[in-house]
Amino acid sequence: MLGNLLIGLREGLEAALVVSILIAFLVRTDRRSALPKVWLGVGIAVVVSVGVTLALTLTQQALTFEAQETFGGVLSIVAVGFVTWMIFWMRRAGRSISAELRGRMEDALAMGSGAVVLMAALAVGREGLETAVFFFAAAQAAGETTEPLIGFLSGIAIAVVIAYLVYRGAISLDLGKFFSVTGGLLIFVAAGILAYGVHDLQEAGILPGLNTLAFDVSAAVPPDSWYGVLLKGIFNFSPATTVLEAAVWVAYVAVVLPLFLRPHRIRTTTPA
Amino acid sequence: MSRRTPAAVGLAVLGLAMAGCTSTAPVDAGAGGPITVAAADDACDVSTTEAPAGTISFDITNGGSKVTEFYLYATGGRIMGEVENIGPGLSRQLIVEVPEGGEYETACKPGMVGDGIRGAFTVTGSAQRSVDTDTRLAEATAGYQRYVNSQVEALVPKTQEFVDAVVAGDVEGAKALFPIARTYWERIEPVAESFGDLDPRIDGRDDGEPGVEFTGFHRLERDLWQDGLQPDSTAIADMLMDDITELANRVPSVELTPLNLANGAKELLDEVATGKITGEEDRYSHTDLWDFRANVDGSQGAIAALRPVIDERDPALGPLLDERFAAVDALLENYRDGDGFVLYTALTPDDIKAMTEAVDALGEPVSQVAGVVSS
Repeated sequence: MLGNLLIGLREGLEAALVVSILIAFLVRTDRRSALPKVWLGVGIAVVVSVGVTLALTLTQQALTFEAQETFGGVLSIVAVGFVTWMIFWMRRAGRSISAELRGRMEDALAMGSGAVVLMAALAVGREGLETAVFFFAAAQAAGETTEPLIGFLSGIAIAVVIAYLVYRGAISLDLGKFFSVTGGLLIFVAAGILAYGVHDLQEAGILPGLNTLAFDVSAAVPPDSWYGVLLKGIFNFSPATTVLEAAVWVAYVAVVLPLFLRPHRIRTTTPA
Repeated sequence: MSRRTPAAVGLAVLGLAMAGCTSTAPVDAGAGGPITVAAADDACDVSTTEAPAGTISFDITNGGSKVTEFYLYATGGRIMGEVENIGPGLSRQLIVEVPEGGEYETACKPGMVGDGIRGAFTVTGSAQRSVDTDTRLAEATAGYQRYVNSQVEALVPKTQEFVDAVVAGDVEGAKALFPIARTYWERIEPVAESFGDLDPRIDGRDDGEPGVEFTGFHRLERDLWQDGLQPDSTAIADMLMDDITELANRVPSVELTPLNLANGAKELLDEVATGKITGEEDRYSHTDLWDFRANVDGSQGAIAALRPVIDERDPALGPLLDERFAAVDALLENYRDGDGFVLYTALTPDDIKAMTEAVDALGEPVSQVAGVVSS
C-alpha cells in the first residue's frame, strides 16, 4: 500500500509542481484569462499519455525499453528549456509590473501564450506516459486486489494537495518574494529534470557513464522512503547520481542562478 | 488563442505520439510465452534462465512489500532493458530485443537500491536473419566470405613486401609494390572499412583534419613520391603492417548478411566514382586506375556470390549486370600498361568522362541488387 502510494505521490509531484507555479504566476499577475491554456496543455498531455498507453495495451504491443527511455529523456531536456524560459519570463514580467508597465506584460504574455500550452503539456507529459502505464498495471491488478490502485490514487491525491499548497503559498507571497522564491525553486527543479533526462539517456545507452557514480547516498536516503520520494518528486534528486548527471546539474545551476539573481537593471528612460 | 499556439500544441502532440511509433512487434505469446519473474523483498525467481535470441518478454510480478525494479544486463553492465516502479502487488511487462546470444544477467532491485538480486541468464543463437532461412543466401554469404578471406591472405604478404622495401630504403621497389599491395585492400574495402578504428589508420588521407595523425598507405605514398623518405617512415611502415595483421585476424569474425554484400558491391562503385575517377585517392602516385580495377573486381566478387539468388528472383537483372561489368572491363583494358595501368595524370577529360559514364551505367543495376536480395 505505502509503496504504491509513494509512487503515485512522486509521479504526481513531478507533473504537478511546475504547473502549480505556472498557475500561481498567471493568477498573481492578473492573467486568469490564460488559465484555460494551462489546462489545455495538461489535457493534451493526459489524453496523449493515456491514448498511447491504451493503444499499446489494446494492440498487445509494448514500447521497447530504449524508446521509453529516449522519450522520457528527450522530453525532460526540452521541458528544462521551457522551465528556464519561464523563470526569466516571470522575472522580466515581474519587473515590468513593478514598474507598472502593464503594456510590457501584455507583450510578454502574447509571446508566451503558445508556450504556456506547450510547457504545461511538457511538464505533465514528461511523466505522463510512465504514470499511465503504471496506472494500467494497477488497474489490472484491481481484479485481484484493489490495494495498489487505492495506494496509487491516494499518492496522486496527496501530490495534488501538496501542489495546491505550493500554489496557495505562492499566492500569499508578496510579488517581489514570489518571483525570487518560485523562480529559485524552479531553477532547482529544472536542474533536477535536466539531470534526470541525462540519466534516462544514459540508461538508453545514448550517453555514456551510467556506472560512474559521483555519490551514492541510497543508504541514508532510500528511494522508497517518504523523504526520498519528496526529494525525487520535487527536485528529481537521485540518491545514486552519476558523474555526468552531477556535472550537468552543477553546470545548470551555476549558469542560471547567478543570471537569475543578478540585480535588476534600472531603466533610465528619462529623455535626453 | 495566439497564432503560435496551434503549432506549439502540434509539437507537443507529435512529441508524445512519437512514443507510439517506436513500439516493438506484437508480444509473441508463442515459444513458451513470456518469462515470468516473481519478485519479492528477498527473492527474484525467473521462470527460465534461457531464451532464444530475438524479442524476449518478461512478466514481473512484485509479491513483496517494497517497490522494485527489474533489469536485464549484458556483459559490462550495459542495460538491455529495465522496468522501474513496480509497486507491491503489481505486474509489469518488460520487452527487450536481444539479437545476440550470450551470457546476460537479470536483477530485481527491491527498494530500488544497490545491485539487486542477480541471476544468470543465457540467450541462445542469434536473432533470425534471412541467411538462416534461405540456404541460397547462406551459400552466397559463405562464398563471398571465402573471397574476402582469400584477398586478406594475399594482402598480408604483399603488404609485407611493400613495407620491407620501405624499411630497406628501396624507394623504387616500394613504388612498384604500392599499387599491388593496395589491390587486395581495395577489393574488400567495404569489409575492411567496417573496422572503424583500423580504416583511418590504414587508408586515411591527408585532409588536414586536426588531431588526426596521417598514417598508413597514403602517408607512405606521400613520402615515396613527394617528400622523400622521412625519419619516421620506417615506424609508419611497421605500424601499417601491424594494422594489416590485426585486420587479417579480425576479418574472419565479421558476420556478413546478403544485404551487406549487395550494399558493399554498390559502395565499391561509389568509391570508384568519388575517389578514383577524380584522381583524389592516390594523389601523389596517381596509381588510381589500379584501385579502380580492384574496386570493380570486389564489386563483381560480391555480385557473383549473389548471382544464383539474383537469377532466381529477377532473371533480367543478371545479364544486364554482365553486360555493364563487361563494358567497364573493356574500357579499363584500353588503359593497360604492362602489368599495370597508365597513371591518372595521363588521362584526358574525355577519358574521365567515358569512365564516369560506364561506372554510372553499372551502378544503376548494381543498386537494384539490394532490393532483389531483401525481397
